[in-house]
Amino acid sequence: MENNTPVSISELTKRLKSVVEYEFKFVFAEGEISNFKLHSPKGNMYFVLKDDSSSINAVMWNTQNTKLNFQPKDGLKVIIKGRITIWDARGTYQIDVWEMMQSGLGDLQLAFEKLKEKLKSEGLFDESHKKPLPQFPKNVAIITSETGAVIKDFIRVSEKRFPLINLILIPAAMQGEGAAKTVINALKTANNPDLKIDVICIARGGGSIEDLWEFNNENLAREIFKSEVPVVSAIGHETDFTIADFVADKRAPTPSAAAEIILPDKNDYLERLNRFQYLINNLGIRKINNLTSNLTYIQNNYFFRKPLDTLNNFKINLDEFEDELLKLPVTKINNLNTELNYIEKIFFNLSPENNLKRGYSIIKKGDEYISSAKKLNLFDKITIKFKDGSKDAEVTK
Amino acid sequence: MAKSIDNESFEFNYKKLEKIMQKLESELDETSLDELMKNYQEGLKLINICRKKLKEAELKIEKINSEYNN
Repeated sequence: MENNTPVSISELTKRLKSVVEYEFKFVFAEGEISNFKLHSPKGNMYFVLKDDSSSINAVMWNTQNTKLNFQPKDGLKVIIKGRITIWDARGTYQIDVWEMMQSGLGDLQLAFEKLKEKLKSEGLFDESHKKPLPQFPKNVAIITSETGAVIKDFIRVSEKRFPLINLILIPAAMQGEGAAKTVINALKTANNPDLKIDVICIARGGGSIEDLWEFNNENLAREIFKSEVPVVSAIGHETDFTIADFVADKRAPTPSAAAEIILPDKNDYLERLNRFQYLINNLGIRKINNLTSNLTYIQNNYFFRKPLDTLNNFKINLDEFEDELLKLPVTKINNLNTELNYIEKIFFNLSPENNLKRGYSIIKKGDEYISSAKKLNLFDKITIKFKDGSKDAEVTK
Repeated sequence: MAKSIDNESFEFNYKKLEKIMQKLESELDETSLDELMKNYQEGLKLINICRKKLKEAELKIEKINSEYNN
């Protein structure tokens, strides 16, 4: 920028952008979240990352933040991966965050990831091992704390949704050291074949990662995997994932949602029954209509109508004939008789029999009368009929 | 032991109803009027049973302590 011509702001920004965005195309930083805002409905997250003396604006787009396994909030210390971008219109810079984890729980997180990988490689999370849930469960076991909101919520939803079940509470400790052991025992109990349990739900409300830690227990994971009865997990909030969730046959985001997943909806079935009733009535009406129209069809069929038509026509002819007859004087009737006799005679004279008597003969090939020489070929067998009998012959020339 | 008669009979009756409905719908032309009437009455009966069960059912709750606590 040696010369005296000023550059435009856009040009300046462009140059800044190219330098900064190139230099900071990958940043790995730690800081505290403040001024967190979830921009609905798109779900982009806007916040500030700060420490004691500095702060930088940050954004995590909805395409990235769905992968988060915790709910970001003000005051939370996090480690992020991302890049620096410059927003031309305002001349501000910000961190475009790709990945974010809670800091300070490095060891736990590491242990979690390690166990997750191990069980995954053993196939404990495979879809092929997931058991389907029954359509109409009868005995539903819920493993949770005897007191607290979870069991109350579950009962409330069950009553509303499908009260035709036995809900069997198997109390277990849901947090603190040794909780996993009590859940394992409850799972074993629920698998007692005498109880005829159709589905098991392991449920607890939200909590810190430390509260939920017992559900990352390896023995518990293996016990869930071993369970003959399908297991639905509902541990913590939607954003909390535990090992138990991965190994369960089905994961519910919350305990109430678990009840909804496990139980059919009463209202849905009442609606279906209404539809069935409407349909069965309709089918009845349709059948009767079909049969009626079949009957009408048969009634109108040619075979049934024809004799009647013929009879009717005949009746009409007869009536007409009678009318004609009555109109004729007696002499005319006699004349008619003579005329009839005459016609009969002519017919007789023209008949083949009469011609045979007069010396003519008839040639037949099979059933065909031969009236032309062209119709006969060499060696054709023919029959010649005379007035006094027939002879077989063969064409020789 | 834990056993819900209500539920079992709901499932049983509902499945039976579903079967009748499917059969009637797909084989209406081949079904005789007698058979239809029989199925019609059976279907209505099942609809009413199922509806009653859904409407009148009351959740049964029990508690079982783990046998394996030691």
